[in-house]
Amino acid sequence: MNYEAQLKLQSFLDGELPENDAREVAAWIARDKQAAGLLAELRHTREAVTGYEEGIRLPESREFYWSKIQREIDRARPATAPAAPAFSLWAYLRRLAVPATALALIAIAGLVANRGVHGGGAVGVTEISVSDTEALTYRDFSADTTLVWLSYPADNEVAQNTPSDTLP
Amino acid sequence: MADKDYSSTDDQALVGAARQGDTRAFEELVARHRDKIYARAFSMLRNEQEAIDLSQEAWVKGWQRLNQFQGESSFGTWMTRIVINLCLDELRRQKRQRTDSMEAIEEESGGVERQMPILEVNPTAGLERTELRQRIDRAMSQLSHEHRTVLVLHEFEEMEYKQIAKTMECSIGTVMSRLFYARRKLAALLTDLKKESSKQ
Amino acid sequence: MNYRVIPVGLLAGLFFLSAWLVSAQSASAGDVKLEAYLIWGTDDAKSPDPKHKPVDAELQEKLKNLPLKWKHYFEVNRKSLKLIDSDTKKVTLSDKCEVEIKYTGKSTVEVSLFGKGEPVVKRTQSLSKGETLFLGGNAPNSTAWLVVIKRVE
Repeated sequence: MNYEAQLKLQSFLDGELPENDAREVAAWIARDKQAAGLLAELRHTREAVTGYEEGIRLPESREFYWSKIQREIDRARPATAPAAPAFSLWAYLRRLAVPATALALIAIAGLVANRGVHGGGAVGVTEISVSDTEALTYRDFSADTTLVWLSYPADNEVAQNTPSDTLP
Repeated sequence: MADKDYSSTDDQALVGAARQGDTRAFEELVARHRDKIYARAFSMLRNEQEAIDLSQEAWVKGWQRLNQFQGESSFGTWMTRIVINLCLDELRRQKRQRTDSMEAIEEESGGVERQMPILEVNPTAGLERTELRQRIDRAMSQLSHEHRTVLVLHEFEEMEYKQIAKTMECSIGTVMSRLFYARRKLAALLTDLKKESSKQ
Repeated sequence: MNYRVIPVGLLAGLFFLSAWLVSAQSASAGDVKLEAYLIWGTDDAKSPDPKHKPVDAELQEKLKNLPLKWKHYFEVNRKSLKLIDSDTKKVTLSDKCEVEIKYTGKSTVEVSLFGKGEPVVKRTQSLSKGETLFLGGNAPNSTAWLVVIKRVE
């Protein structure tokens, strides 16, 4: 049974097939023991997980759980704005000097920390340009090896655009 | 003046009161749906503290967005979608710097689920509900985040393939592959667990 | 003393200090020597292309310790490149596969993979001497492709 057929069985189980296709699959299952077996396995698994979450309980008391939510709600509420004072140019410039000084100090700290490091993204970061693809990263510290595995299906259009189709 | 007792007020009325700023009405909604929201977060994240934190964050967001709740779905369903999106964001954030396990790479490479032998015996037959839940718990924890997420969205959130694809920002083909892998792997893990316990 | 002058004076001093720091920034010296490989993973004992040879023993050992399932790995192409700081070089590993590598200093490289001229993935990696980066994915017929970047010096 090829992979496409296996996925079709799953789609049949999940009610995702159009009517005609569903009828064809039903007929196929009736005459093919292997297909019927795989369908049964998928069905058993689906039945096994039904109701799984019903048994999960939040491990905190009502009051304790709510108290943090309430704190966050209260924190996010807008405070009453104070009345604006009469405008004074010197007071305005003086108020600017302190935060501007702080900003300059932060900028210097950043420059000192980043001396000798040029451009580029953060180390250990992978950026994917292909849609429907994710990257899995595995690191073997003892062998000084990093593997970045791109997880797109091998048999779709994307794979045709990768180095693989250069191979015989 | 005594506090109003909201315990017999329906969700819609509670939402209406909460929209007017009544946090006690909102607290009643939290009390009613907290297990369900937490359970969904835990299913996806598999970490108790993270699930608690994210579920609380979902409630705060729910409070802030109450005016957006139109009643097209139940309040519980609406809140579930908020926590799902928060969990997906968190999983994406963790993924950016995470080093994946060998098992995670193995799950994505080689198409191993296509070659797994078909299990002819139902590995969960005859189990008590509690024991079954424990086994599923252990098995679910062994799936990768991507495979578990697809399983949760399909089996628990009852999303169609197309909806899952949109939520996870991937193709329908990927959804089908991952769901298939998750189911087959789960079946194999449940069978292994059954063999372990029958040896004891 | 006019206390109002103090924060403004301090601000001016900090400004000149930061200007000096910016101009004093200098690249770390040194270059890197890398090897880039295109590898094919398969369960077949032989590659249909006689030009492909099995990967060398060192790579074979590294591949064995990775969570990959293929039994055999063949070297499709190999290129050497040397980069100095802030340098970017592009190598062609096949008529459809190119790798662009930028050395950003302090043993860090940005590796950009292109398939048929289109960007596929970019990875920023710390690569000390002897370290190896593998980028890979599934290929049709249950095989795999791997682009390997190894720092030799």
